[in-house]
Amino acid sequence: MFPQFGATAESLTKASSLVLRIGTDAHLYDDPDDVSIAPLLESRYDSEKCEGLKRLLALIAQGADVSHLFPQVVKNLASQSLEVKKLVYLYLLHYAEKRPNEALLSINCFQKDLSDTNPLVRAWALRAMAGIRLHVVAPLVLAAVTKCARDPSPYVRKCAAYALPKLYDLQQEDNTSLEELVCILLSDNSPGVIGAAATAFNSICPYNLLLIKRNFRRLCETLPDVEEWAQIILIEILLRYVVARHGLVKDSIMFASTSTLNSQSDQENAAFGTVGGEPNDFKLNRLMLRCYVEGQEEYLSPFQHIKEDGNDPDDLYLTTSMNDDVRILLRCTSPLLWSQNSAVVLAAAGVHWIMAPKNEVERIVRPILFILRSSCAAKHVMLCNIIVFAKTAPSLFAPYYEDFFISSSDPYQIKTLKLEILSTIATESSLPVILEEFQDYIKDPDRRFVADTVAAIGLCAQRLPTVASTCLEGLLALVLYESSVSNSHQLDGEADVLVQAIMSIKAIIKQDPSAYEKVIVRLIRSLEIIKEPAARALVIWIFGEYNSVGKIIPNVVPSVLKYLAWSFTSEEIDTKLQILNASAKVVLSTQGENLLTFKEIFQYIVELATHDLNYDVRDRARLVAKLLPYDNIFRSQELAEHILSVKLPPGSYLANNLRIYLPGSLSQIVLHAAPGYSPLPKPCSILSNAEAGEITKNMGIGISLEMNYPDSSSVSSIDESGSVYDSRNSDTGSIDSDEAGFASDPNENGRTIGTVDGQDALLVYLSDSNNYHGQTTQSNNENISELISTDLTEMMSKSALESWLDEQPKPSSAQKSEHSSSARISLTDQSIEIKPKPRILLDPVNSSGLDVKYAFSSEVSSNSPLLVCVELIFENVSAESLANIAIEDEESSRTVEPQDQVSEETARLLSANETPAIHPTEVIATLDPHQIVKKVIQVHFHHHLLPLKMAVLCNGKRHSVKLWPDIAYFLHPLSMDMKSFIEKERHLPGMFEYSRRCTFTDHLQELGHKENSSFQTDKILLVSKSFASKMLSNSNLHLVSIDMPVSSNIDDASGLCLRFSGEILSSSKPCLITVVAEGKVSGPLDVTVKVNCEDTMFGLNLLNRVVAFLH
Amino acid sequence: MLQCIFLLSDSGEVMLEKQMTAHRVDRSICAWFWDYVLSQGGDSSKILQVIASPTHYIFQVYREGITFLACTQVEMPPLMAIEFLSRVADVLTDYLGSLNEDLIKDNFVIVYEILDEMMDNGFPLTTEPNILREMIAPPDIVSKMLNVVTGKSSNVSNKLPEATASCVPWRKTGLKNASNEVYVNLVEELDALVNREGMLVKCEVYGEIQVNSHLPGLPDLTLSFANPTILNDVRFHPCVRFRPWESHQVLSFVPPDGQFKLMSYRVKNLKNIPVYLKPQLSSDSGNCRIDVLVGIRNDPGKTIDSVTVKFQLPLCIASADLTSNYGTVNILADKTCSWSIGRIPKDKSPSLTGNLVLDGMDRLHVFPTFQVKFKITGVAFSGLQIDKLDVKNTPSSPYKGFRAITQAGQYEVRS
Repeated sequence: MFPQFGATAESLTKASSLVLRIGTDAHLYDDPDDVSIAPLLESRYDSEKCEGLKRLLALIAQGADVSHLFPQVVKNLASQSLEVKKLVYLYLLHYAEKRPNEALLSINCFQKDLSDTNPLVRAWALRAMAGIRLHVVAPLVLAAVTKCARDPSPYVRKCAAYALPKLYDLQQEDNTSLEELVCILLSDNSPGVIGAAATAFNSICPYNLLLIKRNFRRLCETLPDVEEWAQIILIEILLRYVVARHGLVKDSIMFASTSTLNSQSDQENAAFGTVGGEPNDFKLNRLMLRCYVEGQEEYLSPFQHIKEDGNDPDDLYLTTSMNDDVRILLRCTSPLLWSQNSAVVLAAAGVHWIMAPKNEVERIVRPILFILRSSCAAKHVMLCNIIVFAKTAPSLFAPYYEDFFISSSDPYQIKTLKLEILSTIATESSLPVILEEFQDYIKDPDRRFVADTVAAIGLCAQRLPTVASTCLEGLLALVLYESSVSNSHQLDGEADVLVQAIMSIKAIIKQDPSAYEKVIVRLIRSLEIIKEPAARALVIWIFGEYNSVGKIIPNVVPSVLKYLAWSFTSEEIDTKLQILNASAKVVLSTQGENLLTFKEIFQYIVELATHDLNYDVRDRARLVAKLLPYDNIFRSQELAEHILSVKLPPGSYLANNLRIYLPGSLSQIVLHAAPGYSPLPKPCSILSNAEAGEITKNMGIGISLEMNYPDSSSVSSIDESGSVYDSRNSDTGSIDSDEAGFASDPNENGRTIGTVDGQDALLVYLSDSNNYHGQTTQSNNENISELISTDLTEMMSKSALESWLDEQPKPSSAQKSEHSSSARISLTDQSIEIKPKPRILLDPVNSSGLDVKYAFSSEVSSNSPLLVCVELIFENVSAESLANIAIEDEESSRTVEPQDQVSEETARLLSANETPAIHPTEVIATLDPHQIVKKVIQVHFHHHLLPLKMAVLCNGKRHSVKLWPDIAYFLHPLSMDMKSFIEKERHLPGMFEYSRRCTFTDHLQELGHKENSSFQTDKILLVSKSFASKMLSNSNLHLVSIDMPVSSNIDDASGLCLRFSGEILSSSKPCLITVVAEGKVSGPLDVTVKVNCEDTMFGLNLLNRVVAFLH
Repeated sequence: MLQCIFLLSDSGEVMLEKQMTAHRVDRSICAWFWDYVLSQGGDSSKILQVIASPTHYIFQVYREGITFLACTQVEMPPLMAIEFLSRVADVLTDYLGSLNEDLIKDNFVIVYEILDEMMDNGFPLTTEPNILREMIAPPDIVSKMLNVVTGKSSNVSNKLPEATASCVPWRKTGLKNASNEVYVNLVEELDALVNREGMLVKCEVYGEIQVNSHLPGLPDLTLSFANPTILNDVRFHPCVRFRPWESHQVLSFVPPDGQFKLMSYRVKNLKNIPVYLKPQLSSDSGNCRIDVLVGIRNDPGKTIDSVTVKFQLPLCIASADLTSNYGTVNILADKTCSWSIGRIPKDKSPSLTGNLVLDGMDRLHVFPTFQVKFKITGVAFSGLQIDKLDVKNTPSSPYKGFRAITQAGQYEVRS
């Protein structure tokens, strides 16, 4: 109308969008590196730093690698501006792993921020510090998390809880301290912190459900106040706890009999059918139970037959919904079914599905159906879960069939899921409406979906035989209609619909062929109009299969056979093969006057087929010709019958391919067990302490019980199934004592669900049962030991926790000892035995007789503070002399890696390449047999934890070796007196002080020696000597003092305190170590080692080292 | 535990990448995903939310042309991931006003900051919009101007919102100068399904109660309905207390500040539809005659506005010639017809007639479904009535406003 106006409008919108972009970061994203970024980062102004960082972020967003600017960025951590900090954190976390060495530079900034007064700064520092994930800082992070777990701000505590999984990622082996922290945080009073702690629990120790036990009630009650995301996780934890603690609920849907779940149980059974013609005991809900508890992989074990009344033995693992814990869990999760977050709704529904009594399960139905409408994104996941629920308990969903009607905007996969659910929940009363709906779908433009609809109609007809004839009529009409459509015009998907329609008819006919005689005839007649080869092949198969069924079909057989013979040459390969089969079947099953004619036709078809162009057709022709020779039909009749007319058992429409995982899990959606998926814990796998104590008692009682009731049903459970029946009573004592003793043990899988069904099963599964039995007892024992051990560790960790809790407010125990009466003695170093333990550098086995050992020496290098002195001991253990022995640094002998990207500053700090790694590197000209040469070399380690790669050259051969550093020798003794020690210690409190506990047993050996030699020595003196010797033999330190306790008890070493001092070689920072012992001289001593050091990382690693060699 | 989040544009370009855990995910996963989208027909809105790729499990949510994609390699509740991505989309929409490629790119720093605050180590951290707004200021015109004029403005707050420590974490603490007003808005969507026989198969209302609250202090609100029994299903905002609802079907809550969804509900088994549509398609010898009539069936008492009818022509149709006596008809390239009617006139009923030429076949064997859209302001079609809204704990009695609107949701008529 007004083109000029339109143009104006367009430019206006352009202009307005330009206006909108002003002041945003648009230009940074569009062209991030149009300015040199490095100078911006070095700028003195925060705004310029921000711009530089934003440009970096833009580059990261666009996928460019900007890690080379790492050192410049890290420097900005010290900035006071929170925006700069945040941007640096974003950058840092993206690249920290790639540049671990530079990332270490940020640690001190974090340390500083951690003691900031602003909780936001503390929280960010903690998050970033835990997020950079470097092994060496793990101890530091742990210290920081421990501190933050007691922060006054709930937000910081929450971040501390979130940091725990990151720490766990770094060091999975030792997580007792992490578990303690989880425990503390779980007992927090802020719901936000509890939620985060639950998340941490789930990633660190999901199986340590005893932790939950203490808090169960409180956790249930805070559930509604916890954040929605944590609710999802907490619900799952609580469910697992209740299952592990009390077992499954007896009156839940898992244990309901089919008849209560499905009003058409009779038809159901008919539809299932069995090989033997007996009603099958196969129960979907029991199967599901097994999948939930044992995982999908195990459920196809031989024990598919499940006893109808699994009462007696099951009771041991079952509880009722009247159980207090179960009731609380259900009560606290039911309001969550109204949650706005669909994941919470599904998690709560899952709990009710598994734990609620079956008459209450209904309450989950409407909330989960409502999600289909209210959260569109959750639709697919929800339907995947509903389909499992619906197959187990169709009656629950039957009234709500309307919710599954298909909307034209649904994606194809959603449509098929809905179809499957509809065909599962259809009942006599709802089926007319559903079928009417299906008829509408058949006219849908999406033909793939139409084919599925046709299949669903077939399923409905199989489930509800009363409507089968109606369905068949409709399908037949569809076949005729579709064949006319697809004939007139080649369209995508039409053929599929046709083929599917015939498949559905075939499936329905299969259930009772003689009743559907007329349908078969009509189908065969339609051969004239069906052109689609696959469809024709199917119809011909039906004709061949049922050629002798009923009264009408045999009458039409001659003409059909003639027609097929006539059309053979013009058919497609599939159809030809089916014609061959069908004609053979006809010949096989016919008797009487027609046989000769049929044989002739058959002969004719075979003749045609043997001259076919296609290999397969010719092969098939020869096969059937050999099976049914023209002259003597009876020669191989039996074989032919076996091959051609096997009566397939009517398959159950609920194929076994239904895969069941826990509701709400990812595995249920992708239909395989995703990594990390774990089924429910074994029921009753944790017991209360009292119960655990009773286990041993039960073992005794078990025997007498079993003797009293030798025929009780529990005896006939799987334990016995493999053994000979007559000997049952004789070995009851041995086996049943096990059984009764571990009565509450859940590992007897079969019994969780029900016992093996009678004797048939026993005979069939003889060998398996034997196996099974063996495994069961074994796992019983394992489980018990596991139980005991977890209990112990639990108690231990508790005591550790208490002492840890005590420690905090009081002065540390090292300081405390000062106030108690003690005598200080000084020992001259001579009186202490120092014998450094040599370690093997090169094994003579690998090196033709050269044995090289190394020991760290206490000498201090005069050349550079970075060098550590190592004594090498060369020994020739071979019979020949060795020549030209030399040591070489392997890394420097290669081309030195260019490190140009690292800025100078970093290079200096990390100081790698200018100093040679080994100094000096002289050559030993010859080494005679059994000659020992000692040499002291000075080594530069690149890192105090990483080994130095070296090569030992000998006789022209090169042997690669690794020289492992010992952090205890990165120090040199710093002599000081007691006063200055105390003074220094006072300057290094808080973050710079770390302590750990361990036990010390070395003195016991020496005490043993001394007792033999009947010398009367002061035992405590001996202990302190062995302490000092141990310490000095393994580290390069100065012994400052030994404080010995003065107590009436001569055997009591509590209060023994040794102090050592040293100085870090590289940084000349002082490092103080205090060792305090507790306990009896005659037993292992409890030792607390405390390190005070300014360099936190070094200090922590040193502490670990000291504990390691003391222990 | 989500390992990463990617934001993809409509053309499959990776606009943003945020790694969450140590197990970083290469962005080549996005290329795989985009290939998958193309193999599924290229319609991003019809892609399933959970996809198992050869290396990762992918979760994705599609909003306004943006695909929010996240990956994991381990078991986790899939709905948690989907809900989280939806929440990210909601928060970003709230921050940026709407959602499109340019907005994301222009504000990428804020998007990064929000993502960092919303998720830590693959677990949701702070997702409450009120707290987020305090931590990271939304881009408003003032900060933009400041940015232009002075070259510096920080959108990162210097202090931790106090609400993180309060027992009502969704509410800003210490609100004083609020305008002291509260608006309650009933927004309903009418779903209806008419089958090929012209029978009403299903008719229900999905509704949301949206509240916009600007109240000072820590107000305590109670909302009650005249007819709560008609509600079939309900879901609540976390601020709603469960007990009063269980016992008296009353909504008792301390509201967040600003706009939020208090409750969503469903009313099923309605018998009336406000708008009828009667399609007739008769085909013979390669031609198909189409007649569509639209009209008001049960006058709701308010005007029915912005009526549009949409349908997809079957693939077998070669050409179409459609005319209407009211409104305009458009046929788009993907054979979608849209007929925008606007307000239905009182005097005549709009009709669409036309002729479709079939491609090589005599009769039409597949039939389109017509989707109807409309809007009725001032009416909650479900009949849900708010009885009263009590506000306690405010210094002076606030201004209260109520509104209602009904729109067509999945309103489908098959032919």
